[in-house]
Formats: sequence, structure tokens, C-alpha cells
Amino acid sequence: MYQNWIDLGLKKGITDLEVFAVRNKSLKLSVYQNKLDQHVQSDVESITIRGIYENKLSTVRFENLSDSNVDHLLDQLKANAKALTVVEPAIIFEGSESYPEVKDELFDFGSIPVIQKIDLLKNLEQKILANSSVTQVQSSIYQEVDTETTLVNSKGLHLSRHNTYAYAYAIGVFQKDDDIKTAYDIKLAKNFNEFDINQMAETTVTKGVAMLGGTSIRSGEYPVVFSNEMFADILEVFSSIFSGEAAYRNMTFLKDKVNQQIAGSDINLVDDPLHPDAHFKTGFDDEGVACSKRYIVENGVFKGFNHNLKTAAIFKEKPTGNGFRGGISTTNFFLEPQEKDFDTLISDIKDGVYITDMVGLHAGVKTVSGEFSLQASGFKIKNGKLDHPVKMIVVSGNFFEAINRVKGIGSDLKFGLSGVGSPSVYVESLMIGGGA
Amino acid sequence: MLKKTEIQELLNEALLTGADFAEIFLEDTESSSIRVTSGDVTSIDRANVHGAGVRLIQGVDEVYGFTNHVSYESILGVVKNLRVSFSGELTKVKSLGEKKPYTDNIKKPMNSVSVEEKSVVLQSLSNQIKNYDARIVQAITMMLETEQNILVANSEGVYQDDKRTYTRVMLMAVAQENGVMQQAYEGPGRYMGFEIFDAVDMKSLADEVAKSAIMLLSAEDMTAQVMPVVLHNGFGGVIFHEACGHPLEATAVAKGLSPFVGKLGQKVGSDLVTAYDDGNVEGAWGRLSYDDEGKETQKNLLIENGVLKGYLIDYRNARKMNMDTTGSGRRQSYKFSPTSRMNSTYIAPGKDKFEDIIKDTKYGLFARKLGGGTVVPATGEFNFAVQEGYMIEDGKLTRPVRGAMLIGHGKDVLFKIDKVSDNLEFGQGMCGSLSGSIPVDVGQPTIRVSSMTVGGSGGKK
Repeated sequence: MYQNWIDLGLKKGITDLEVFAVRNKSLKLSVYQNKLDQHVQSDVESITIRGIYENKLSTVRFENLSDSNVDHLLDQLKANAKALTVVEPAIIFEGSESYPEVKDELFDFGSIPVIQKIDLLKNLEQKILANSSVTQVQSSIYQEVDTETTLVNSKGLHLSRHNTYAYAYAIGVFQKDDDIKTAYDIKLAKNFNEFDINQMAETTVTKGVAMLGGTSIRSGEYPVVFSNEMFADILEVFSSIFSGEAAYRNMTFLKDKVNQQIAGSDINLVDDPLHPDAHFKTGFDDEGVACSKRYIVENGVFKGFNHNLKTAAIFKEKPTGNGFRGGISTTNFFLEPQEKDFDTLISDIKDGVYITDMVGLHAGVKTVSGEFSLQASGFKIKNGKLDHPVKMIVVSGNFFEAINRVKGIGSDLKFGLSGVGSPSVYVESLMIGGGA
Repeated sequence: MLKKTEIQELLNEALLTGADFAEIFLEDTESSSIRVTSGDVTSIDRANVHGAGVRLIQGVDEVYGFTNHVSYESILGVVKNLRVSFSGELTKVKSLGEKKPYTDNIKKPMNSVSVEEKSVVLQSLSNQIKNYDARIVQAITMMLETEQNILVANSEGVYQDDKRTYTRVMLMAVAQENGVMQQAYEGPGRYMGFEIFDAVDMKSLADEVAKSAIMLLSAEDMTAQVMPVVLHNGFGGVIFHEACGHPLEATAVAKGLSPFVGKLGQKVGSDLVTAYDDGNVEGAWGRLSYDDEGKETQKNLLIENGVLKGYLIDYRNARKMNMDTTGSGRRQSYKFSPTSRMNSTYIAPGKDKFEDIIKDTKYGLFARKLGGGTVVPATGEFNFAVQEGYMIEDGKLTRPVRGAMLIGHGKDVLFKIDKVSDNLEFGQGMCGSLSGSIPVDVGQPTIRVSSMTVGGSGGKK
């Protein structure tokens, strides 16, 4: 089928074409009050075709796989390419010399009876409800995903990858007097047997109970420690500043800063498609370029932008295997951990804030300038130890400043579902907005 | 697309094992995006979303399945997979009724105007932004067009199609000076085709965006404090959207996860607050003729003079809550089961004058343009970002400030609204929730909140 589409495109005068096909099968279950609340199953195949016409590249995405629709879209692809007013490097790739081998478990989650998955959620809900501070479990969710990806192009490249995983979590609602708090802990598994209900329930309850009774604190400048999950969130939103597209479009502060010191010398930011602790591993990007481990920032020095085929050609560099979803993104992007355990990390902080939750990252961050201002909650740090919970505060600062004022990096590297990882990070000081 | 008789048969099949409600949702959507970067047309892409979603309900229990293979056999396969979840007595399927006409008054649909003609307009706006000031280093303009064709049929006889045409224009400027970079944007959207350029003064907006990015270069960082905040009209309505709109959705209310549960008829805000969610504002970004469950959209009164009057309710939650649906069942695409969502949500105009509100404020923040926000309905805690702000000192706008983040609690903030002006306007956004990302309007006249927690990185020693 894919080859037929390529042939049809070539016949229409499109110089080069690439078909990128993703078949996604998924099952999602949700339990509420010991009953199945939602059950969603799906099977969707979506196609992206990139084509070069008059030396310019355009893209069509579709789910209607009928020949007539493909014919119509290929005509549009031609018309759209023609209408582009600027010729930028347009490349359909003949392939890398070699591709790394991806060692990843392919577990057939479909082989586990659905009833067993529902029971898992019911048990998780019951175990969380057993805690007296829990008023209800908002929902308990399980999802399994099976993704097969195929890339075929007119340069003779043919690659494929297959990935399976599942995740589960339950959102507990905790209450003490007037104070309501929600907490959850997502567990991602490559094998169904990895789900440990007791542990998941315990983590959720510990998180929720600890946060109850939180108060705001006086506005001012405080030493701030971000939990590993929260600093990973910050890295994730700022990962776009390392994109070659952002550099080319004047959309990053880092333009012209390659090989310069942009962060403290203990900052090492790495993109590693095959990191053993990461949840997703890949040997090639969506343009067929082999992926490999690369330091983006090494000892505080900016080593270079992430590139896809286009921006690599523009900057006359090698593609870095970061061409994903038509743009540029990281694979498994993380801050390298150091030796300190958490207690040691916070031991010299007299009066500080430990942040374990942030809300509104899509709105409170300006990637171009590096500014962030985010609703947060967590704990006070007093005389080197965690103290009472705090909530309804705003933590504000500038990413580029913050990475130059890191006073400590923990050992607790953790990858999130998005592929971004971090240990806990202690920033010398940031502004906290709170009460009067 | 399938024949009506085939859809009828599929619905019959769906109820065989005991489900008491079945629904089939067919979708074929075309969309286009044109992007202009510093005057050059740098990308034009096209996308198609195509598939079928099947929903079965027994009591309040629901199963949902979807596929991109739209044929009788393939949908029957989904139906058979789903119906094994239920067992019970047979509910009779009602015969499918007749389609009712939907509003289709689009003057310049997506495919009636060439990409070249659209590009020229976007290029001119991009150049206008770029040439506004030498400090503008990037000017991006985009046009996103969507034409969504849907058909929804259910076992209660609903058989309704609808065609939705959305067009949104994004204008963005990046300014740079002395190592400082700032960005500003506008994103007007309408339930329209290319005629959006006749309805909206894009040239003025392009100037505004450039001016705003330049202004931000010299703005001071906001200093964190608790203070009165004047929220400007239009996108300022995001405060009501986050603080009250989401917690009034049946998804939150039916589970008791909202500060507004059990408060119908009770005071939830100051006397000055009257608010609506309207599903059918002519030409509005958030409008629909029929919702994604085939129900005609309507204007829903939410709050009247501070008293809670209604929730936003979809079919399934109507069963849970024993209340009527409000035409609020929406979904991003066939890949989502529908649930209660907003359309065009706004605080109704009051009697105050904008100038008087500023004059009456001794010290405070004027949030002229708001960015996005978030709410956790269970706790009612919300936040939203200020894109462009000014300090108010002795009743006058003084210094520009940047990086302000406002936080608050849904059940408090409505009581703290102490001024509502008469200049209602809408702003457009994409709202993300359980059933995906959908176009919505937020709206309000300029209002004042007597006290809010404001965050920011300014005021360092």
C-alpha cells in the first residue's frame, strides 16, 4: 500500500516522497466507586506523507486511507509546495550507515484478561480509600498502548519500530477540615507484572496526606529545591530552546552561544535515546536518521542545537536524530545526577521552599526569554529539614539565570512519561509570591 | 459515509446484549495550516481526521470504541467488541428521525480561496509586524483552518449532521534588545471561513502585537504581592472559564468534585456577577449548531446576580444527575467520548465605565492581556498568566510590568468582584479537558477583583 502511494506521487511529478505510518491500538479503563466507569478501545492508523516538489517540501496527514483521498491529498501537497515562497533545504533521507539496536521488552498486554485490569484498578482504589484522610478516589485509570511505526521512502529506506507499554494511576482526594488536596502517582510498566498495587497506593497516600493543611507563605526571595519530577517538568518546557529550528527562526536566546558557558559547570544536559532508565527507546527519528547519545550542555558549556535534516543542512552540521512529528524534539532528555541524597541536598538550607507540585506550565512559561512564573505547592524547609506544607504560592524566575545558580544536584534521577528526566535540584534563590 | 439503514442496523446490534443507549459518531475533518515567517511562506500543511466512534451505555456505565476504518463491517466489529461488556434486558431502538438543517452561512469556505491568496494576506501582516520597529527580530503569522463534517446517530432516534468551519489567525512578534528577548501574540478565531479578515481588523492587531513585544522589553518584572487586580475585557474572561466554568461542568459536578456541588439557588458570587455559557453566538469561535451528541445548542444561564442557576450537562451526566442536558456534549474528534464542555462563556456586562474603574483604584495591577490558565476542579485552585500588565498608582496606569501570574480559589474570587464595566468582549482559545482540545470563547467586560495573590520575579534584593 505504502509503495503504491509513493509510486502514485512520483507519477504526479513529486520528486521524492516518504510515508510515515503509525498504527496505534489502545485500551483505556477507568474505575470509579468500585465500578467500571469508562472503557475505551481503539485501533487507528494514521499516515504522514512528506513530499518534495519544485525543491520544496510539504506535508499531508490523514486517516482516510482510501485511494481517492490519497490521490486528492497528493495533488494538494503539490499545490502547497508550489505556494511556498522560500526554498529551504528539503531532504528525503537515504538512511544512516547503521542504527543502534533497541533492547526493549514487547509485552502483549492484550493477553491479560480485561477483568484482571479492572480488578487492579478496583484494588488500587480500595487500598487508597482505606486511608482516613481520603474522601474519595476521583478516578482510577489504566491504559495500554501498542504502537507500530513504519517509515518507507522513495530513496529505498524502510524502517520500523514496535513499542508496547501500559500505565496506571489513581487520583486520591484528601481532605482535612476545609483543605482539599488531590494526589496521584503514575506507574508506567513494560510488563503487566510490574504493577505493584500496594506500593502505588502507598505512594499516592503519602503524597496526599503530607500536603494536607498547607498554607501560603510570605512573599519574598527563598532558596528553592525542586523535586526530581518538577525540575523535569521545567526542563521539558524549556527543551525547545535547544532546537535548531528555534535558532534558525530567531526564537531562542541561545542563538550564537554554541561552545559558550551558559550554565554552572556542574550542569550536564544529555539527550539519550537508549538510556536504560527511560521508558521509551528509539533507534531512529521520524525522518529515518539514527539516534545517538549526545551532550547538549556539558559542564555548563552549550555544545550545539538539536537538528532535523533541514536545520542540520542550514547550519552545515550533521543531523542529530531529533526530527520528530515534523519538527525537532528531544528523545530522553535529562540532567545528569550527582551524589547527594535528598537529606544532604537540603541540609544547609535555613529557610527555603521544596516544590513538589506545579500547575499551569503551558501558560506561565516564556521559552524565548526564559521567564517562568508558576502556581506551586510543596513544603517549607527549615534548618535543613522539611517542615510544614505550603500551597497557593507562585514560584518565579528565569531559566537561564536558574541554571547558573544551582547549588546542588541530587542523585535521584527519575524519567517522566514525556521522556524528560531529572534529579532533585537546589537553586540558590527564586522569588516566591504568597500571602501578605 | 454509511447509509442510514446501515447505521440503524448497527444501533440495533449494539443494544442486543443489554446496553440501553447506543450512539455512532462519524467524522471527516479537513484542516490546513499556513505559516509565514518574516514575510516568507515557510510551510503549508494539510491534515485529515477521519473515523467512527461508537458509544454504548447501560444505566450510567459507558464503553467507547473508535477506528479510522469507516465501513459497516469495521464498525460492526467495534460494536461487537464493546457490547460484551453488558448483559441485561433488551431496550428497543427508536427509528432514526430526519436530519434537521444546520446553519451553514460560511461565505468563503477553506477550499474556495487559493493558498496563494491566503498567503499574500499573511505575508503582508508578517511584514507589517517586522517593519514596526528595528528591534522586532521575528514576525510569525499563521492561519489555521478546519472544516469538520460530523454525523451523530443514536438509539433514541437522533440522526443529525453538522458542518463546522473554524478559522484562526495567529500573529506573533519577538523583540530583542541588549540581550533581552520578549514575545507577544494575538490569536483571533471565528466560526467563519476566509471572511474572518472582513470581520476582524487584523492590521490593528498586528500593530498591537508588535507594540506589545517592544513594550515588554522595557517592562519591569512584577513584584510578588497581594493586591487589587483589574482584568481587562476579552481574554480576561479566562478567569471565569478556569475558576467557575470548569467546576460547573457536569464531569466535575456529578462526582461531587466541585465547590459548586449542591449550591443551585445559593449565592456563589457578588451581586454584580451574571454569567452565561452560550452555544450559539453567531460567528463565534466556540459556537455549534448541534453539539457532538446531536442536541441543538442553547444559551445557558449559569449565574444570575451572584446566585448559581445552572450547570453544563451532557447526556450521560444528565442521567447521573437526574437533570436535563444543556446542549454541552462536546469532543475534539471521534477519538473521544463526548462530555460536558463550554462553548462561549462570559460574564455579562455591568454598569461601570472602564475609565472609572482605573480612576477608582488607588493601587493595583491592570492585567490588560491574559495568557492561558489552569484549574484543578476538585480543589478549585486556579492560575493564569498576565501577558501584558501595568501598575495602577493613584488611579492612573503607570509602569508596564511583565511575568505576573495570578492565583486564586474559585469559590472566593466571584465574591471579590467589586466592579463590572459595560465593555463585553470575547477572546478565543483552545480548551483542553477529558474529551480533548476544543475551540471556546472566553469573555467578559473589564472587571476588578478586590484582592488576588500575584506572583512574579521582581523585587529582588
